[in-house]
Amino acid sequence: MKIGLISPYAWDVPGGVQAHIRDLANHYLDQGHQISVLAPASDESSIVEDFVVSAGRPVAIPYNGAVARVLFGPVAASRVRQWVAGGDFDVLHLHEPAIPSLSLLACSIAEGPLVGTFHAAAPRQKVTFAIAPFLEPVIEKLRARIAVSEIARETLRIHLDTDAIVIPNGISAEFFGRADSNPAWKKELTIGFIGRFSEPRKGLNVLLEALPKVARFLPEFRLLIAGPGEGLEAMESVNPALRSRITFLGRVDDEAKASLLKSISVYVAPNTGGESFGIILTEAMAAGVPIVASNIPAFSQLLEDGKYGLLFESENASDLADKLIRILKDKELAAKYSESGLNYSARFDWKQVGEEIMNVYLHARGENERVTLLSEARPWSRLFTRGEEE
Amino acid sequence: MEFPIFVIPLFVLLLIWYLTFSATRLDRLHQRVETSWANLDAILQRRASLALELTHFPETDPAANLLLTSAAHHARAADISVRSEAESALTTALILLRQEGWLVEKYPEIFEELDQLTERLRVGIALHLEAVSAARARRTKPIYRVFRLAGKAPLPVKYAFEDESLVEAQR
Repeated sequence: MKIGLISPYAWDVPGGVQAHIRDLANHYLDQGHQISVLAPASDESSIVEDFVVSAGRPVAIPYNGAVARVLFGPVAASRVRQWVAGGDFDVLHLHEPAIPSLSLLACSIAEGPLVGTFHAAAPRQKVTFAIAPFLEPVIEKLRARIAVSEIARETLRIHLDTDAIVIPNGISAEFFGRADSNPAWKKELTIGFIGRFSEPRKGLNVLLEALPKVARFLPEFRLLIAGPGEGLEAMESVNPALRSRITFLGRVDDEAKASLLKSISVYVAPNTGGESFGIILTEAMAAGVPIVASNIPAFSQLLEDGKYGLLFESENASDLADKLIRILKDKELAAKYSESGLNYSARFDWKQVGEEIMNVYLHARGENERVTLLSEARPWSRLFTRGEEE
Repeated sequence: MEFPIFVIPLFVLLLIWYLTFSATRLDRLHQRVETSWANLDAILQRRASLALELTHFPETDPAANLLLTSAAHHARAADISVRSEAESALTTALILLRQEGWLVEKYPEIFEELDQLTERLRVGIALHLEAVSAARARRTKPIYRVFRLAGKAPLPVKYAFEDESLVEAQR
């Protein structure tokens, strides 16, 4: 099958959506499908995958509590048009088609077996009601909608009044399961945190606030923080006596991430909101490390209300400290979460997730149908577009 | 104040644009319903033929044979309005047969394919129901009724497949 995937966000900036697309592409390539990915890129030479086509430099816009690097406008539209026309795809899979991005452009100029995946979870916003009438006819063209979690599905239902099938994000469970621990990181009572800690919604400050209490009960604890940045600014708020307990590892690659997860005693996710799924939690589970996470909707749902990890009240540092102490002291409890999480993580493996997405592709596509550029039935629109298409 | 006469043709043009725009949207929704029905139908047909294949095995007892054969034939021949009933009957028959563990062990391929079909069926039904309700919701809007934008296309039929029985079949 020839599959076209579109990333809304810059390919050379790490992020959950991009990682999802890359892994999905690799998974289908291994199965013998043909894949092409269209994505914005700030630096085209940094793209290592040969199946990725750059659509040009993205612009940075604030979106959902973070800075999103997306691309749109007439030049981008003509790149999308070219790519769709030249690709001759059986299925076009658009990610995040409801934000101003390549995906939305593709959705409006293409026709046929279109599938959309909605990643974001956002609270009800007034502005969406103003945009919805324009978005609706475009989004309506998707033959099938996928939401990555129940929260993303709910967001879609509130904002655009359409339902979606829930298929979670995928991970390579085996990759995290068989990774080796790093002796430099592996010590008793080590807490791990991975993420763009400079963003407030990732909740690093809640974790730092909880540390004095943890230190009172477990003075020999350590905290390893991985993610882009130096962390000097974050350290300023920390009691100088505790600073030696904290190590910033900087940005880590996938291998280092897996071995970090293998080395630590507990993984902590103190996020305060804006999350839709929590892929890092499934990775931690696949590595067999117990989890302490805030009880924001995405995490409560993913961990089934504490069945697969300990939940603390979001933004409550004292509660977080209590839960960390509990899991670090109680070896049996830690082992229980580690084992149940490990079993549960198989559900998120690409083998399972890839097959579910493929089922959606198969269903979205009519017999021998292909993705084409929009050919409106109305005669005058053909007058306008003919010149461009040829 | 004099009414500017040029507003009238402008309004008419705008109306024509909006009508054709709306008709295209509805047409696309109808197409989505048709595609998804065609795919769903293909899965159901395949399932019925697998069920018939099962009856050819010497190990299945005559009672089960009779049950499966009639359920499969009904499902294949059923009119769209009674289709979901017939398919549910076939699902039940397949679940009954599944409970005989030794049969599953003897013919793992056929039951594996049935499992895969059940998985696809689940996606298919969800997507089809979504397509149908989207098309129906659009057709109830006043502009589509006043200007009869649906033309002669029949109103898409809701397919009431029992989802729970499918979940059962998984086990």
